[in-house]
Amino acid sequence: MLQKTSPEIGGMGHSVKRKEDLRFIQGKGTYVDDVSLPGMVYGHMVRSPYAHARLTGIRSEEAKKLPGVLAVITGEDLAKAGLSWMPTLFHDKQMVLATGKVLFQSQEVAFVVAEDRYTAADAAELIEVDYEDLPVLVDPHRALDADAPILREDREEKTNHIFHWEVGDRQATDGVFQTAPVKAELNAFFPRCHPAPLETCGCVADYNPATTKLTVWETSQAPHAHRTLFALVAGLPEQNIRIIAPDIGGGFGNKVPIYPGYVCAVVASLQLGRPVKWIESRSENLQSTGFARDYHMKAEIAADRDGKVKALRVKTLADHGAFNAAAQPSKFPAGLFSICTGSYDFSEAFCEVDGVYTNKAPGGIAYRCSFRVTEAAYLIERAMDVLAQELKMDPVELRLKNFVPPDKFPYLCPLGWSYDSGDYKAAMELALEKIGYSELRKEQEEKRRKGELMGIGISSFTEIVGAGPSHTFDICGIKMFDSCEIRVHPTGKAIARMGTKAQGQGHETTFAQIVAQELGIPVADITVEEGDTDTAPYGLGTYASRSTPVAGTATAMASRKIRDKARKLAAHLLEASEEDLEWEPGKFFVKGAPSKSKTIQEIAFAAYTNFPAGLEAGLEAVHYYDPPNLTFPFGTYICVLDIDKGTGEPKVRRFVAVDDCGNIINPMVVEGQIHGGLTEGLAIAFMQEIAYDESGNVQGGTFMDYLIPTAVETPNWETDKTCTPSPHHPLGAKGVGESPNVGSPAAFVNAVVDALSHLGVKHIDMPIAPWKIWKILKEKGISE
Amino acid sequence: MAIRIEKTFQVQEPLESVWKFLSDPKKVANCVPGAQITEAVDDRTYKGVIKVQVGPSVTDYKGQVHIERLDDENHEIEIVGKGQDVRGKGSASMKMAGKVRSLADGSTEVVSVSEVNVVGLLAQLGARMINEVSNKMFEEFTKNFKARLQQERPQQSTPQMPPSTGSGATDEPRPIKALSLVLSVLGESVVRFFRRLFKGSSS
Repeated sequence: MLQKTSPEIGGMGHSVKRKEDLRFIQGKGTYVDDVSLPGMVYGHMVRSPYAHARLTGIRSEEAKKLPGVLAVITGEDLAKAGLSWMPTLFHDKQMVLATGKVLFQSQEVAFVVAEDRYTAADAAELIEVDYEDLPVLVDPHRALDADAPILREDREEKTNHIFHWEVGDRQATDGVFQTAPVKAELNAFFPRCHPAPLETCGCVADYNPATTKLTVWETSQAPHAHRTLFALVAGLPEQNIRIIAPDIGGGFGNKVPIYPGYVCAVVASLQLGRPVKWIESRSENLQSTGFARDYHMKAEIAADRDGKVKALRVKTLADHGAFNAAAQPSKFPAGLFSICTGSYDFSEAFCEVDGVYTNKAPGGIAYRCSFRVTEAAYLIERAMDVLAQELKMDPVELRLKNFVPPDKFPYLCPLGWSYDSGDYKAAMELALEKIGYSELRKEQEEKRRKGELMGIGISSFTEIVGAGPSHTFDICGIKMFDSCEIRVHPTGKAIARMGTKAQGQGHETTFAQIVAQELGIPVADITVEEGDTDTAPYGLGTYASRSTPVAGTATAMASRKIRDKARKLAAHLLEASEEDLEWEPGKFFVKGAPSKSKTIQEIAFAAYTNFPAGLEAGLEAVHYYDPPNLTFPFGTYICVLDIDKGTGEPKVRRFVAVDDCGNIINPMVVEGQIHGGLTEGLAIAFMQEIAYDESGNVQGGTFMDYLIPTAVETPNWETDKTCTPSPHHPLGAKGVGESPNVGSPAAFVNAVVDALSHLGVKHIDMPIAPWKIWKILKEKGISE
Repeated sequence: MAIRIEKTFQVQEPLESVWKFLSDPKKVANCVPGAQITEAVDDRTYKGVIKVQVGPSVTDYKGQVHIERLDDENHEIEIVGKGQDVRGKGSASMKMAGKVRSLADGSTEVVSVSEVNVVGLLAQLGARMINEVSNKMFEEFTKNFKARLQQERPQQSTPQMPPSTGSGATDEPRPIKALSLVLSVLGESVVRFFRRLFKGSSS
């Protein structure tokens, strides 16, 4: 068990106020658009209005004549340098600037550089681009039809099919289905949505011809990976590339990929020898950068008549848009979607996914989820409700009957994952008690008699986070370890640097708390720095809830290395043997003589002023952590809502979220993460979709159409927790930032369907806007 | 986005004069708010512009229209048109079939079926409004059509301008103010909503 530190030290379990908030709430953060360099010029992107068109000519003479315009870069220009295409993060390539044809609306076509932003934007309007429109492919179900246009002429395979991926035992699963007395089937579409971070993407590229050093300030969740990719793609020496990710205003996976704008800014800076800033507009962000989901899923459950589940069969069509720019580990074309058996003890399962190209923006990033876990959790939690409906069984009873029991952990699921720990029943029971489940069901019955619509939705999800063990996990070949380097200064203060990069998660506080826990140095005395590839140790960045499970452990391990050295120094100072020393957070003392002690601060000073012969000076350590397994946080969410029969509006009355993320570093930060994730889940369930019309026009390309929840729409979140530590994580922690986004959509949708289930409604696809419900009420003749 | 617009209206003019007017793209173009023929490529193909204003930004669609079919006997015409915004924000294409016929009272009925496809910024922003906006545009077109047809009556001998001089003979096109159209459409939907609401509560 971890020793609890004093509030002054502020180690694990203390709700230490976030150190970074002081500058954030005062508007004193440094975001990429705050970076201003002498001689800096500005880039603006010319984009395609067509979803699919032949590019027959670009005329930029008028634009170049405009005073202040410095350069216009086209795909043909980049082609000369071999840079018109770049690799995506997932076994594919994408156009930096279009050559030959465009494949989605808002695709990058030309890059204008001018002395100021306004001139660059004006010049972009003067560039005439000739297009010949081509047949547009929007519906992924049509992608493999014989008469569908082949989108990717650059590929050898003349098909829109990207990959087929399957896991599990097809034959055994089919066998169970053949004899199963009860089968439930769900066809669900998880719509294309977008993380829509508050800050859009952007960069400042600064190539210094005198030093031949390229510095790029960039909104990047993975600065080191970007540096290596820049080195490999552009052929620049890696030591001459410095990526700095400054403060980031939200990422949620959207800031993992490398976007054409970054490459164009770098090329322009190399060409002009001046710093080039490029910042996306809101619409550019929504229309061209990494989207998430867009999974057309079918789930079937085979069960006994008493509700014991036997087998799960999942078939999914994944719409990847024009390029497969999914940001996920190389060996997993559908990410960790195969966690789709969820919290339930299936004996057999089979899951297959086919990816296709369409004329839509590229992506498939993990929006606040660990690579497609949200899709998986939504599917299984929705499907369990469909089965409950089929069996006329309470969804809670069905879940309790099928949970993986606590004594079965570590649990090997039929799709191959080894769940580290879990107690699903405990989380469920706490949630039921908090919400007053049985009373709510009684109330619902009464309301139904009166003709009122009320629904209760349950989601008892399991996540899989913390990628990941190097034997299975890599991105573009780089293993998914992470790192921490700690230096303790002579006065006992410290700086810790990681390979991760916070975008609002609070790393400056929580990682300092891990160091505080391990070394007893007060949180206030520890600086956490991330995002500068010249100073931070190499790491894969922050996404997929991997920072705490991976870099958090690296931080603990680096701290422990320092403590080992501190023990040697303390032994020297106390003239005792190392074995005779005991540690309590903040000091070593001689066993049996607690007054004979040396604080970590005294030891740090000695590391520079009075170290024994044969011991290196200084007190620092670095650790690269390769986790043995992933971590599996879980929880139960319950949503209660009422439906207005006049407008079809679902009003969330209560929402209880019980999370279990193992040992908690900072309860306040965890609660904040859960509030944020639930709010995003609410938006996904009810408000958001990046839809396309039949010509490939984006229908969710502005905040007029892609809605962001405000305080008005957001209900009160009631949170609680159970604690089942991860057995393999040195701190017993699991990662939590994404659980609420993963677990909540199913709770909302289950609640809406539950409210309408007595009318024969079995499923409604997200986003459940009021009109969808109103239409159903109208059909059933009960709208007011 | 593709939309289909079917419109029928009556003109208090004899069929022949309506047909003569309708089968002349230059004259018809002048009735389309914001549109103008700039050049005759041949006797069936014309180049032209149409300006659409959304808020402060003016979209200039530049393109051409072509008479696919002109049936003087049955008084039917089919026109295809295609234009691209000169600032690269999008394009629009249209296929219109028109037919005129005499009615018993001596007036003439004009029936048109148009399929319009809009791509780009306008299709993104105006998706929900485009049907109502096109209704408004059509209303204005009908008004202009009737007025210009009437103007022609006393001076039927007006010489035709040679097609190549184009714009000199016609009025400078005024942009269609899509935003103001949207606002008036919005206004109407609000009125309709309240009308429904009060009707609902009183019944």
